[in-house]
Amino acid sequence: MLEVTNLSAGYGQIEVLHGLSFTVPKGQVVTLIGSNGAGKTTTMRALSGMIQPRSGSIKLAGREIGGLDSHDVARAGLAHSPEGRRVFPTLSVEDNLTLGAFPRLTGSRPKGDVAADRERAFVLFPRLKERRTQLAGTLSGGEQQMLAMGRALMLRPEILLLDEPSMGLAPKLVEEVFRIIRQLKEEQVTMLLVEQFAMAALGVADHAYVLENGRIRFQGPAAQLKNDPAVRAAYLGGDH
Amino acid sequence: MTIFLQLVASGVAVGMIYAAIAFGYQLTFATSKTLNFGQGEALALGALFGLTLAPFTGYWLMIPLVLVFGFALGAVVERLAVRPAVKIKSEYGWIMATIALGIIFKNLAENIWGRDDLKFPSPLPEEAIQVAGVRILPMELLIIAGALLMMLAVEIFNRKSIWGKAVIATSNDIDAAGLMGINTKRVITLSYSISAMTAAFAGVLVAPVTLTGATMGAVLALKAFAVAIIGGLESGLGVIVGGLILGVAETMTGFYISTGYKDVPGLILLLVVLSVRPVGLFGKAVIKKV
Repeated sequence: MLEVTNLSAGYGQIEVLHGLSFTVPKGQVVTLIGSNGAGKTTTMRALSGMIQPRSGSIKLAGREIGGLDSHDVARAGLAHSPEGRRVFPTLSVEDNLTLGAFPRLTGSRPKGDVAADRERAFVLFPRLKERRTQLAGTLSGGEQQMLAMGRALMLRPEILLLDEPSMGLAPKLVEEVFRIIRQLKEEQVTMLLVEQFAMAALGVADHAYVLENGRIRFQGPAAQLKNDPAVRAAYLGGDH
Repeated sequence: MTIFLQLVASGVAVGMIYAAIAFGYQLTFATSKTLNFGQGEALALGALFGLTLAPFTGYWLMIPLVLVFGFALGAVVERLAVRPAVKIKSEYGWIMATIALGIIFKNLAENIWGRDDLKFPSPLPEEAIQVAGVRILPMELLIIAGALLMMLAVEIFNRKSIWGKAVIATSNDIDAAGLMGINTKRVITLSYSISAMTAAFAGVLVAPVTLTGATMGAVLALKAFAVAIIGGLESGLGVIVGGLILGVAETMTGFYISTGYKDVPGLILLLVVLSVRPVGLFGKAVIKKV
């Protein structure tokens, strides 16, 4: 589904990613783990066109999307729920969800039933339903995270990128977020997940890549990496 | 007391014109953090274009054509003056470029319509009507209604249509809007179009009570800029209140002090607001995250 080959990217003069290659097969969940500054968020940004890759190739369902602007990447079917949630604070919960379907409503992706998808988002995230007319800026952090995920799903994406969905949330909400990720996985949503809770990410993922200084250090089935003593010692910080 | 009410009534009409132009500044500032310093010329071109059309179409049918003209004009301004400056990350290039384009438009207008001010035929009777002893021109009522209606229409577009929501999303968070598949460059062009459209519309509203000419917009646009600062660059209510305050303050000063000092209260108000409340009367405090 997503095929990344030799991806290099960075900011200004500084190169952060030095030739990453990885794949996310259709219907699977792949996670990128690694310490702060390893390049996880930069990878996500390069994939969704928020920053332009310097070299390498990014293929989504066989189509090259590397170098496209972020709006064209979204139209190609890649939804990115960014770090820090980034909901639209002065728009209602409902309008935030509607905007997730923008390419469908403006003719650059098959339309389908947007209203029905919005209702489905409310089933998946019941907390949002009570707040549907409330401005997104007035939601709690956990609710904003639900909204950011729901909004990304409104694209009916080929692949969903989740960047730090549990960041800054109370433990109970972290559990809730992972419960939803598991549910999406059952529904065969292809996902690329970046998480600070590496153990939890490995628990839900099929395959994992360990990033270090902008390079892939280890990779393998998630269950296997979870029990690898070297990985545990270096990246999982003991009993997380 | 009658005189006082009379001054308020006249001030409100002028104030609504300021508000309409200031509203145009807000539209582009919201999406792109840039402004069209050629708003005054967009207003003048709209009025002159309307003046040329009016004999063929009449006043009312001319308005939609002027709106289309303003819409196209705004897109030209954004493409020629703003986008190149933003693209090379020039922080202030758009200021010079929009001023320069405004000067070019003004010269163009002088070459087409001449340097003399022209009379714009009024679509409504030019005799004042009396309301509770206050004399008010029908055209002044049209200005107030037209300006409010126009702002309301833009607000409804923003709240209800998918493209309007895209405009708000772009104003909220331009990167996140891009992730939604919104072409934010096109949204910025759209906001310039709507902005120049409001200016052109303000032009044909005000033209029948003033004179029409290439320079008619310069002072109006400058005062509207003060209004946008006074009311806050992000508050729709702010520009209406700011416009009314300035309009009324001007007519008061003109009557009670001297018409020669008519332009002073606006500047004093601007200085006071900037020193006491820099985000504007209705602005929200902006915390810039680093």
